Amino acid sequence: MSVFMDLNLSYTNDKSRMQSLIETAAHRESLSVPVPTPIKDLMEKLPIVQGRCRPIRVLNRLTVVMSEQCHFVSFSAYDLLAVQPATEKLFHVACFTLDVDIICISVTEKRPFIIKRSPVNGAVERGIMFEVSYSAAIRDSTMRRYTIANAVSLVETCKGKNLILSSAAEKPLELRGPYDISNLGLLFGLSDGDAKEAVSSACRSVVLHGETRKTAGGIVHTMKCCSETPDQQEAPPADSKRAKQLTE
Amino acid sequence: MKMRAELDQTPRSLLVSERSSFRDQKTRIRAQVEQLHFNYKVSVLLPECCSAPPHLDSIFNTFNSFYLIRNLPVYELLDKNFLETAVYQGSVYGVSYRTRIDEDNCVALTPKGHLTLSLDKDSFEILGVEGKPSRFNHRTKCRFVVSVDLTDSSMAPGGRGYQRLLTGLRSRLQLKTDFLLSHYPGGGASLQALLSRYDWSEHRPQISRHTLTDLSCPALLTSDLQSCDPHSFMEWVGAVDANVSCENSSSSFLSSLVCPEPRTTVSRALSVSVCGLLLPHDVHRLIQEIRCYLEQPHLESWVCLTVHGYADSPVSWGDNEHSVLKGGENFYSLLMFQDDTYHLHLATGAHDTCPP
Repeated sequence: MSVFMDLNLSYTNDKSRMQSLIETAAHRESLSVPVPTPIKDLMEKLPIVQGRCRPIRVLNRLTVVMSEQCHFVSFSAYDLLAVQPATEKLFHVACFTLDVDIICISVTEKRPFIIKRSPVNGAVERGIMFEVSYSAAIRDSTMRRYTIANAVSLVETCKGKNLILSSAAEKPLELRGPYDISNLGLLFGLSDGDAKEAVSSACRSVVLHGETRKTAGGIVHTMKCCSETPDQQEAPPADSKRAKQLTE
Repeated sequence: MKMRAELDQTPRSLLVSERSSFRDQKTRIRAQVEQLHFNYKVSVLLPECCSAPPHLDSIFNTFNSFYLIRNLPVYELLDKNFLETAVYQGSVYGVSYRTRIDEDNCVALTPKGHLTLSLDKDSFEILGVEGKPSRFNHRTKCRFVVSVDLTDSSMAPGGRGYQRLLTGLRSRLQLKTDFLLSHYPGGGASLQALLSRYDWSEHRPQISRHTLTDLSCPALLTSDLQSCDPHSFMEWVGAVDANVSCENSSSSFLSSLVCPEPRTTVSRALSVSVCGLLLPHDVHRLIQEIRCYLEQPHLESWVCLTVHGYADSPVSWGDNEHSVLKGGENFYSLLMFQDDTYHLHLATGAHDTCPP
C-alpha cells in the first residue's frame, strides 16, 4: 500500500477556506490534495500530516466537464487532468483517445448513460482511473442514492479495478479519514483490499500517470536549466521505472 | 439495486485459544510470550482488588526503560561497533516509531539479530537489495520485505552482503526514521555509542491505574468450567480495558457490548496498564509474580493479563510478517487461575499469520 491521498478538493477563491480545507486534509492523514492554482500563492508553509514529520503534498488539478468533444484541450501545466463526460459517446472518446488521468463518474444525477465494459477495459489498459466523489453523499440524501447507485454500477463493470475514491469537498467538514472512505468503498461493492487500494495505490498510479503526461512516453523528461544555454537532459532511471509501473 | 451480501462480514481475524497449566511440562507459554517481540501495552485486571499488592507494583515499576532516537539513519544499525557490543552480546529490540506499516517504510530489529525492512515499491527498487514481495499485496506489488540475519556469516562486517546493504542504506536509499530501542540485559550501556551520535531520550514505561466499581464479569469459577466462548470473553476484556460500558441500556446507542452469561458482579476491580516498548522478559516476570499473587486466598480466583503488540510493526510473532488492513491488532490475553492453570487467547487481524 502507499500513502493515502485525496485527489479532489473543490477550489474556492476564499483563500482562508482553502487553507482550512488543506489543514483538515493533513489532519485526516491524506498526503496529496490537488488545487488548481500555484501552490505557493495559496499557503506559505504546508501543514505537516498528522503523525508524520513531512508536510502534505499539494498538486494542481483541472476537471473538464465535457458536453461536447471540442470542450477538451490538453493542459500540461496541471499535475492531474480529469474529465467528466456527459454522454455515452464522450465517455467512449475519453476512455479510448483523450489524454487524461481521471474520468469522473457523475454522482449528482441519475445515471446519465450505461457504462459499458468495452470502454472501461480500454481505459484500464491505458492506465486511466475512474473517480467517485463522496462529499455529495454527505450533503444530501438524494445525492447519496445517486452516488451509491452510480458507483455500484461502475464497480460491477470495472470489477473494482482502476477506481479511486475522493471527496470533492467544498468545506473541511465534508472530508473523511482514509479508513472511513475505504469502508464506504465496501458499500459500493468493492472488496476490502480494493477499497483500501482505491484511496492509496490507485491514487499513486494516477499521480504517476499525470507525471508521465508531461514526458515523452514516460522516458524523456525535459527541464529548463538556469544556465545560459538551455539543454535537454535524459531522464533519471526513476522515470522509466515509473512508466513501467503504470503498465502493471 | 443489487448490493453485495458480504456487507455484514467484517475483515478476517484469527483467534487461537489454548488451555494448559504452568506445571505442565509441555507448556509453550514461555515461547509464546517471548516470540511477540514488540509489546506496546500490558494490562492487568485484578478482581476484588482496590490497590495493587506491593510485589506486583514493584514489577510494574521495574519494567525496562527504552530509548527513542530521532531521525536515526538506518545504516547505523549495521555499525560494526553496535553489532559487537549490542546485537551479538544479547538481545536488542528495535522498531521504527511513527511509521505506518501500510503507508511508510518500517524497520524492526528483533533480539535474534534479524533486521526487517518493510518498504514501499520505490524505496525497495532504490535500495537494490534482495527481498520478497509482501504476502499481503493485493492486485499490485506495492510493498516489499527485506529480511536480513545480522548474525549470519554472510552479513559479517566486510562481507559482500553486508557491504551491499550498507551501501544501499547509506548512499542509495538514505532511510531515516525515529526509532525505539531497548536492550536486554545490558540496558542503555550497550547502546551508548549509538545513542551518543544522535538526538535521543530515555523513557520509562507509563503506568496507569483505574479502580472499577460494580463490574459485571463472566462467572469464571474454575478453569474447568466452560463459562463463555472465547470471542465473547475477548470482547468483554476489551470493553473493560477501554472503559466501555457493558450495560447496554436502551437509552444509550454508544455501545451494545454486554458481559457474557453467566455473569456475576464484582464490587471493585483494579485495572493496571503499562505502555511503552516492553520486553517479553518483563512480561514473563509479571506472569510469575501474578502466579505468586494467586497462590494466596482471594475472593475471586483469577487474574486477566492482556499484552498488545505494536500495530505498525513489520513482524508480529517470531519473524512472521505483519501488516494492517483495517486494524493491526496482534495481542494475547492470559487468564490465570489459582490452580496454576490458564486460558490463553492469541489474536491477530486480517493481514497476519496464525499466532503460535
